[in-house]
Amino acid sequence: MSGTAAAATAVQLLGGIALAPLLPGLVQHWKARLQGRRGPTPLQPYRELRRLWGKSAVDVEGAGIVYRLAPSVAAGSIAVAVLLVPVASDAPDLGVGRDALVLAGLLALARFAVAASSWEVANGFALMGASRDLTIAVFVEAALVLALAVAALVSGTTDLVAMIAGTAGSAAWSEPALALGALAFALVVVAETGRQPVDNPDTHLELTMIHEGPLLEYAGRDLALLQWAAAARHWLVLVLAAQVFLPHATDPRVQLGLLPVLLVVLCGALALTEMLVAKMRILLAPRLLGIAALVALLGIVTWLVEAA
Amino acid sequence: MSVAGSVLVGAAAVGAGGLLTLLHRTFVAGLALQAVGCVLLAFGGLWALVADETAGLAFTSAFDPRVGVDALSGLFLGILGAVGVAALVFATRYLEPSGKGRTIGALTGLFVLVQALVLVARDPLTFLLAWEAMTLVPAAVILVSRADEPARRSVFFYVALTHLAGAGTWVAILLLASEGAIGDPSVIASGSGVQVAIALAALVGMGAKAGVMPLHVWLPLAHPIAPAHVSALMSGVMIKIAIYGLVRVLVEWLGVLPEWLGVLVLALGALSSVAGVVYALFQHELKRLLAFHSIENIGIIVLGLGACLLLRARGADAWAAFALAAALLHTVNHALFKSLLFLGAGSFERAAGSLELDRLGGLLRRMPWTGGAFFVGAVAIAGLPPLNGFASEWTTLQSLLHVPAYGGVADGTAAAIALAALAATAALAALCFVKVVGLVLLGPARRDAVAHAEEAPGAMRAGVVALAGGCVLLGLAPGLLFGSLVGLAPWSAEAPTTVGLDLPGTGDFRSGGVALALAALVGALALVRGRRVAARAPTWACGQLVERQLDWTSAGFTKPLRLVLEDVLRPEREVAVRTEGGVVTEVAYEGRVPHHFEERLYRPVTALAMYGAHHARRVQGGRLGVYVAYLLGLVLVVLAAAKLGVLG
Repeated sequence: MSGTAAAATAVQLLGGIALAPLLPGLVQHWKARLQGRRGPTPLQPYRELRRLWGKSAVDVEGAGIVYRLAPSVAAGSIAVAVLLVPVASDAPDLGVGRDALVLAGLLALARFAVAASSWEVANGFALMGASRDLTIAVFVEAALVLALAVAALVSGTTDLVAMIAGTAGSAAWSEPALALGALAFALVVVAETGRQPVDNPDTHLELTMIHEGPLLEYAGRDLALLQWAAAARHWLVLVLAAQVFLPHATDPRVQLGLLPVLLVVLCGALALTEMLVAKMRILLAPRLLGIAALVALLGIVTWLVEAA
Repeated sequence: MSVAGSVLVGAAAVGAGGLLTLLHRTFVAGLALQAVGCVLLAFGGLWALVADETAGLAFTSAFDPRVGVDALSGLFLGILGAVGVAALVFATRYLEPSGKGRTIGALTGLFVLVQALVLVARDPLTFLLAWEAMTLVPAAVILVSRADEPARRSVFFYVALTHLAGAGTWVAILLLASEGAIGDPSVIASGSGVQVAIALAALVGMGAKAGVMPLHVWLPLAHPIAPAHVSALMSGVMIKIAIYGLVRVLVEWLGVLPEWLGVLVLALGALSSVAGVVYALFQHELKRLLAFHSIENIGIIVLGLGACLLLRARGADAWAAFALAAALLHTVNHALFKSLLFLGAGSFERAAGSLELDRLGGLLRRMPWTGGAFFVGAVAIAGLPPLNGFASEWTTLQSLLHVPAYGGVADGTAAAIALAALAATAALAALCFVKVVGLVLLGPARRDAVAHAEEAPGAMRAGVVALAGGCVLLGLAPGLLFGSLVGLAPWSAEAPTTVGLDLPGTGDFRSGGVALALAALVGALALVRGRRVAARAPTWACGQLVERQLDWTSAGFTKPLRLVLEDVLRPEREVAVRTEGGVVTEVAYEGRVPHHFEERLYRPVTALAMYGAHHARRVQGGRLGVYVAYLLGLVLVVLAAAKLGVLG
């Protein structure tokens, strides 16, 4: 294994597991600053994780194995996704393959586990959140797969490492296809990270929440796992956005070096969007993501016309 | 024992077992013998597939009854045998040795036999006769098991539609026979009129039998009312045999089809998968919901076939073979998890008395074996890793994704739309099966009868658990089967040899690695989470009291989607509020999502047919004199025509 490959693996594992909570922390911090508040420090998610880790879990009466296992399954499948998503174009295979569409499957598995757990506790708010999350996911998955398809067509494979290499440099960006794919992926990022205008991570007001809903009954280590999973979702989609859907260097060393900068910029962009855009009515969110899917489809058509 | 011997002895055992089932004393032994026969059928079939062996005679276009087995027949015999074993073992306890139960048991054996006959038929006559018998036997089973008015109407609808549309199968097979093209792809020229005619006829006839939209309306009527093990055979195997027919005709015998036909097949697949799962979501009865999911999964299989046809037309032979293998892998996978779900539904119906989704709940705790297997089936059908549904949906997605890489603008765009449709279908299936497992398996019991449900007897458990094992195995190592399936393509293609799915042009789905990593990480996290429990607390629900009246329902969970799709689905709802002196005393709510294919497409047609029949009756006066007058009129017309020289 070459030096950069080892470094890429280290960044992938350390970043995905340990640095991920920093990303939502940064977004919250800057959002507060932009709103003229001092707000929590960017390290706040770590403090919350530490506090929750020290507490024991609560087993809801009558809830069974699905309730108890759901946080582990959600966090476990997101962790496998962290193993899957490389951070540079020469990262080695860590035994789970490198396929972009497998990522979509792992994200769906995490979503399924959490949504199933909300039936165990028969909490109406949890079920409301779960049903909304799964409804929006229909459109998110279509947009996600199409956006990945644009990048895959441009680079000729769904191998993520090859996709990072195939979209690197300036040549891939001379056509509008990838830009359209990037636009679609931006909306997927917003939806997968549960941010405005699709969802509001700050709200704990029962009637408006989506992702927070199914988490209501969890406490202690269960909740810590779920919060870590939400943070790691930020890492996964932002890394993809930075290394596939934004212009990036061809040299893996430069890619690695610039990754922190790009991630910080993307967090800033999320914070800015959160400040500028209000949360949409829930029934309008699928429409927005439907538009994202159409934009990605347009990207594929452009690519086909160019190639023809 | 050879392939031929295994299949022949298997068929004989199924037949003999069927006869024994008719007697009260040998009832269970008869079903067991049938199951043994199915094992042999599966063994012989899979042997033919893996060793790529042919036995018996080859295909002929002559009307000369003959039988034989090749690798493709072998695959479907394997499916038939595997599902058959599980269904028959299940049936040993599911059926009562009463007169009715014995007849159903014997007819089950006959059903297995006629399906096997379709698969081994090597001439048009045997094929068409077995094909028709395959339609009629389940109709007989349904009529034996229940004879009420709605069931009779559904059976009538099923037989009428599959026969009307089934004419397409006759047209396709007879045209192929008259061209001498059965078993010989070199006869029919690519792009010729007869090629297109055969392809379209096969799509109508076999598509209707498979449940491809818009010819699917019989399926959600007929499948739910059959006994559970026959439902499993119908959804798990019978509609797959129509896929077998489509593969034979479209992929094997017709050579390279024009691109627009591939686009048409993709469109049918996309319509069936999305509309199938959307209508499934709004069903509130478990077996009817599962029947709609069969339409969805047939849609996914047809998407794979469409990708195969397009890639073949573009000369991308390697990926065309992968697309075919993806379709066939999903065929196997769907056979496993759908029969599992139908058998599980049968056990739940026995234990809880009804399959109305809103009146079950908590069955995972009461019936851990059946419930656990059902949960595995639900995760598999939702297309989630690490189970088998994901493996085949992943390969289908990859096949569709590779169409634009080879294709022109039109077919590339069609494939991209199909890709989005398949991604949305997977997410919709996840939504639907979260609802199903939630309402059936999880949470509190919603009725007292459900709270006291008993686990199914051993034989019924064994059937579902074995199928769940199959789902896990093919999820962990789909490559075991995928290589052989790639080899089924009539053109030469290199098959991958790994247990995962390492395909060129993809990032490799290392199924084993993913499953292992998932198991290790989930296990470790569950251990870390520990058993430390501060308190067993009641559901908090933000301080709201959790009462049975506030339980979420099937309709409630799918409401966001219903609202989003309101313009397409046009749901109907009626709220009647009764007030007495300004005080609300009663609120009645009724809502439903109408099945538009039935109400907008079929009802006008049947109404027109009934109207026509009503008026045609006037012609049939029933009096002899009138008929003599008709004859006289006919003779005069013919004479006049002859006189004018019209007859030539």
